[in-house]
Amino acid sequence: MNSFKQKWLICRTVADVTYKEWSAYRTHSMVSIIVGPVYFMVQYFIWTAVYGDHSSLGGIELPQMIRYFGATALIGYLTMDFADWNLSMLVRTGKFLTFHLRPIHHRSFALFQKIGHRSLGFLFEFLPCLLIFIFIFGVDMRPASFPWTILSVLLAFLMNFYVNYTIGLTSFWLVQSGGIRSAFMLVSGIFSGALIPLDFFPHSLQVIQFFLPFQYIAYLPAMVFTGHYSLGGLELSIQQAVGIQAMAVLITFGFNELVRRHAMKQFTAVGA
Amino acid sequence: MMPVIDVQHLTKTYKTYKRGAGMGQTFKSFFQREEVVVHAVNDISFAIGQGEICGILGPNGAGKSTAIKMLCGALYPTSGEIQVLGYSPARDRKRYVGKIGAVFGQKSQLIWDIPPIDSFHMNKAIYGIANPDFKSRLEELTELLDIAHVIEKPTRVLSLGERMKCEFVMAMLHRPDILFLDEPTIGLDVIAKVKIREFIRQMNKKQNMTCILTTHDLEDVEELAHRVIVINHGDKVFDDSLQQLKLFLGEKKRVNFTFAESVQGTVFDNAYTKVIDRLSDFQITLEVDTAHISISDFLEDISRKHRFSDISVKELPIQQVVMNIYENAGGVDE
Amino acid sequence: MKRYLDVYKQGMYSALQSAAAYRMNFIVSSLITLAGNILFPLVTLLIYRAGTSFPGWGLYEVLLIQSVFTMSSGLSSLIFGGVLWTTMSHVREGSFEVILLKPLNPLFFIIATTFSIDSVGLFLGGVSLFIFAAMHVGAIPVLFWLQFAGMFIAGTAVLAGLSLMMAAISFKWVGNSRISELADSVLHIGKYPLPIFPKAVQAAATMIIPVGMVGFLPASALLGRVHASDYAAILPCFLFLAAGIWIYRHMIRLYEGVGG
Repeated sequence: MNSFKQKWLICRTVADVTYKEWSAYRTHSMVSIIVGPVYFMVQYFIWTAVYGDHSSLGGIELPQMIRYFGATALIGYLTMDFADWNLSMLVRTGKFLTFHLRPIHHRSFALFQKIGHRSLGFLFEFLPCLLIFIFIFGVDMRPASFPWTILSVLLAFLMNFYVNYTIGLTSFWLVQSGGIRSAFMLVSGIFSGALIPLDFFPHSLQVIQFFLPFQYIAYLPAMVFTGHYSLGGLELSIQQAVGIQAMAVLITFGFNELVRRHAMKQFTAVGA
Repeated sequence: MMPVIDVQHLTKTYKTYKRGAGMGQTFKSFFQREEVVVHAVNDISFAIGQGEICGILGPNGAGKSTAIKMLCGALYPTSGEIQVLGYSPARDRKRYVGKIGAVFGQKSQLIWDIPPIDSFHMNKAIYGIANPDFKSRLEELTELLDIAHVIEKPTRVLSLGERMKCEFVMAMLHRPDILFLDEPTIGLDVIAKVKIREFIRQMNKKQNMTCILTTHDLEDVEELAHRVIVINHGDKVFDDSLQQLKLFLGEKKRVNFTFAESVQGTVFDNAYTKVIDRLSDFQITLEVDTAHISISDFLEDISRKHRFSDISVKELPIQQVVMNIYENAGGVDE
Repeated sequence: MKRYLDVYKQGMYSALQSAAAYRMNFIVSSLITLAGNILFPLVTLLIYRAGTSFPGWGLYEVLLIQSVFTMSSGLSSLIFGGVLWTTMSHVREGSFEVILLKPLNPLFFIIATTFSIDSVGLFLGGVSLFIFAAMHVGAIPVLFWLQFAGMFIAGTAVLAGLSLMMAAISFKWVGNSRISELADSVLHIGKYPLPIFPKAVQAAATMIIPVGMVGFLPASALLGRVHASDYAAILPCFLFLAAGIWIYRHMIRLYEGVGG
């Protein structure tokens, strides 16, 4: 249990330092506070126009759709990270070595950093935007079920981290991982569901989403928030959806661990 | 002699913000920050004549760079007057900067991904240099600096020394009347330093070009300058000839020894040697007054008494120079 | 004047040379931008595929708006895209002096030396999409083309002004790499038919930050859907560019310490 206590101490310290480090970039949060609501506003009017006389599209009513977009925007603030960019930068500059010499996995370190970074995001991006959505746009931002939404967002937090970290690990083999990362971001931007709910996609593309990581980062938690999940013709209860999400996180973690071990072998063998 | 640079009561202050430590402080600094006023340059006056090489010396953060930026027209003074070549640099900037050249040691003007020769062509267009002039000057400069073989290679593959030489070509192609150098030899190896100093000397002699250089390396000044201005915390603390500076400092050098055996208890201090630092029983730094004993005699003397595995001989660090000036009350000008 | 032309020519030549130095990288990033552009109207496609629409607008008409938007962004990005990043890095490294040491207008110098050849993918993506959409909206009379050309230029002026304003912000928000997101978010409004927005947003998007001119109005001109009053929106575009230039120059003066 002593080692657990020590881990907790490290976690708190790293998170705290990251929080302070990023506080210096206070203008970053200001960008979020402006950009988030502007995008939301555009989505709001696009969908109000699109619904027109339709009372519901694909079984979703307009207020639910607006709630969905509010949720994807806010979940984004809680789960985003640059683990991929950060790791590839460490590898490229050779600074990764300094982590290799410490008695802590870089992955744990990066996760603790993300906790600190997102705590800052919670205070200066999530909360202000939540207030703007509620009081300026008048959107009902109460989740269908608080505990399940929180659990789902936590899982999305981990999911996004392990996926991005895996992408970052590719830089142990590729000198220029920039291309892979931007291509991945492009695909992930489309299939995360932040632009348009996934049930608007052709059926086959929807089915594939169960086997790809993207929906577990934004679409699924946002649907859990609205209290109604459907994809690829499958209607799931909130509990079932979160269960699938948990499984996806476990599989991704396992995959990440596998890639990480190979990467470490590559690192110690080549000294890349 | 008419001064080409005339500076009267030059002052520059700017504001910066305090950043708090701790969770609460950072939270607070999100909403309001405390202003701090910094006096970078404080009521400095001097004049420099045509063809002079003047060194502006001072520790890091003393205000040298701020001063040179104002002389180049990149910064407006908070108060005071600057006249260079009959211009007010910041106010007449566009016309003025065509007549000067500048090399900022840590701010490259070369385009990173393409060969220097293309950057030179860029400057040809910028300064409107006529074709025949450009050709003959480029040939002369590349020959003097011995870089004819590197100007066709991409800048990013060049060594720091080669890049710095190319920066000099950039600054000299339009035949400036005055050359401003900000830490021109920083990070360079000895050979490159010597070459660049030689180049500056030649340009000064051939074209009667005035040259202002800031540095924290005493050696640059010793090798090049006729005249030295020392700045510390924004104040001018010394302004006189190089000979005068040497008179204050004495002819002192620092020698670091790593002895092969313990010298515990050995006394090194005497009329011309002083122990500056005793890092361990093996590592000792001595200050030698070379007015009384030449370095070679001193080394011969000490090697007869002790075996050592490593030595290095250095100029006095700039902080020491400033301290010596302060100690010598007459050293403070005005 | 000749000197300014020479400098611009030399700047374009250097940009080409630099791109050639990283050929692979250049090709890959151009392809990704191109792919990103093909996917950009995806939301619109999916909306129309679901049997719904923006009331009063056909699919190809909306695609036309979005292709004009992309072309305009590509063109502006080629010419002005580098200003933000160059300004940002100079301010962060404290090396903006290098620009002030040139006997030229500093704004011109930055524009001339940052020709962003990378954006060619964006521009060409926009052009292909435009040709595709224009072929599906029926014959377009010459007069409409002329109206379109005028509005397209005005829209590019808006984008240029926006680039300069973002670059001006980078003097204050030192090292903030997210500044461009501000412009992107506001521009988002120009990608859709303006009438779907409430009157207040429409007014702001034509008179204050005229992003309506970037995609929506020029495309409407091609479709013959503009009214005489819409031409009044051209003036604010150039005022907006002038404001961008003024703010950027003001920031340079602050950097020089005039205000201090």
